[in-house]
Amino acid sequence: MSNDADGLADLHWMFDMLHHIDVGLVVLDSSYQVQLWNSFMENHSGVSSSIAKEQSLLTLYPELDTGWLRQKLDNVFGLKTPIFISWEQRPFLFPFKSYRPITGIADKMYQNVAIRPLSSPDGSIKQVCLVVYDVTDVATNKMALSAANHKLQRLSQALSR
Amino acid sequence: MSTRVLICDDSKLARKQLARVLPTDWDVEVEFAEHGQDALDILSSSAFDLLFLDLNMPVKDGYETLEALQSFEQAPAVIVVSGDVQPKAIQRVKDMGAIAFHKKPASSEELRSLLLSLGLMTDSDDKESKPTVAAPTAAEQFTLNDCLQEVSNIAMGRAASVLAEMLNVFIKLPVPTVNILEVGELQMALDYSVKDDSCSAVSQGFVGSGIAFETLLIFSDSSFPDMAKLLGVTEDITRELETELLMDVSSILVGPFMAAIGKQLNIDFSHSHPMLLGQHVKIADLINVKKATWKRTLAVEIVYEVENYQISCDLMLLFTEDSVPTLENLLSFLVEEDE
Repeated sequence: MSNDADGLADLHWMFDMLHHIDVGLVVLDSSYQVQLWNSFMENHSGVSSSIAKEQSLLTLYPELDTGWLRQKLDNVFGLKTPIFISWEQRPFLFPFKSYRPITGIADKMYQNVAIRPLSSPDGSIKQVCLVVYDVTDVATNKMALSAANHKLQRLSQALSR
Repeated sequence: MSTRVLICDDSKLARKQLARVLPTDWDVEVEFAEHGQDALDILSSSAFDLLFLDLNMPVKDGYETLEALQSFEQAPAVIVVSGDVQPKAIQRVKDMGAIAFHKKPASSEELRSLLLSLGLMTDSDDKESKPTVAAPTAAEQFTLNDCLQEVSNIAMGRAASVLAEMLNVFIKLPVPTVNILEVGELQMALDYSVKDDSCSAVSQGFVGSGIAFETLLIFSDSSFPDMAKLLGVTEDITRELETELLMDVSSILVGPFMAAIGKQLNIDFSHSHPMLLGQHVKIADLINVKKATWKRTLAVEIVYEVENYQISCDLMLLFTEDSVPTLENLLSFLVEEDE
């Protein structure tokens, strides 16, 4: 009995941790229905977990590039291997506002996304997990650096002429 | 009379592993060949009943060997044992006369049931174990390179199979090379393998159980048009689209490769998000950035090519110097487990 209570307590803190970790976590089943929508996703999207759950991600976010995302998700299900999306190919998957709206430079949150297959006890893949990282600082720094380099290059070209 | 069996594989570890898992109650006489030409020389001087043949080998690979065997009057039955598990590879060797295909590494139960189903041996009650091959001598030592090459070989086949499935193509697989390289040597190796002037690269870091390494996937920029064609992209190739193609192919080649390596070493590696290291840059610029931080690296290099397309990419696994002793230790367990 006490073992059960311990198990439940473990589950509770683990779930608390997953829910409040500062990384977006979304679990989808094979028909893209949302199974988990953690508090990072709730707070940045304004969509509560109870509304997001049991809805298709594609209907929840009709502005997502459906064909493109579907292909990515299907590849993860089919090929059973994680697929990564970088902010450099697509600045963001979910249209979230930047975390620091006042002192930050960017309006939108730049995101790196990993889509990972989740294996069930029998080894088959029935769910995938989307892990959404906020990389706004990295992205704005890299863009500022490359803009500065570009400017320097133009200046040096103008000087040598 | 005992069955005469020839095992042809360029990896000493793979030859030994296969000889070990042959059924102990099977009356056989085993000989070894190091590559296709070696096997053909042996086969033309004496008759064998069965040939276990690897596909990716130097000098003469498995396909060339199968082709040459077609003109033999008394060719042995051929079972291909390879890490290349692409469906097209399996179909191709069967079309060329192989009677069966088995994925590497073979276990004794799997091999036994395969041999029984092919009627190459009969299930005798007499399972008295009989040494099929001479016990390994002290001289038979496996170097880190031997082991790492064979582990990479198996992982490379798994990764190619997943990419082949996604693109519906045949991936040509080479023999992985393993070397300890200094900074300058790594640059030379890269220069040599990527002939084009400019390239794009994605890097991803891995760490686990005291082993740290980076994978470096390098595309020559001339690969992009064909890659876009294969993925059914009709739009103009923009910089973003190229990044997308790079990230996708890198996910698909590196993910299964690492899963296969991790499974063999029994490590669940943590990995970083893949990072775009450079786009349309000179190969020298890729490595220069990191010049100060390391002196030597253990490098595994695999060049993947897609048949009938202008696509080639270079996958490098670069282990840190301090990972080498741990890796050596883990790989030595791998050899012992077979015994």
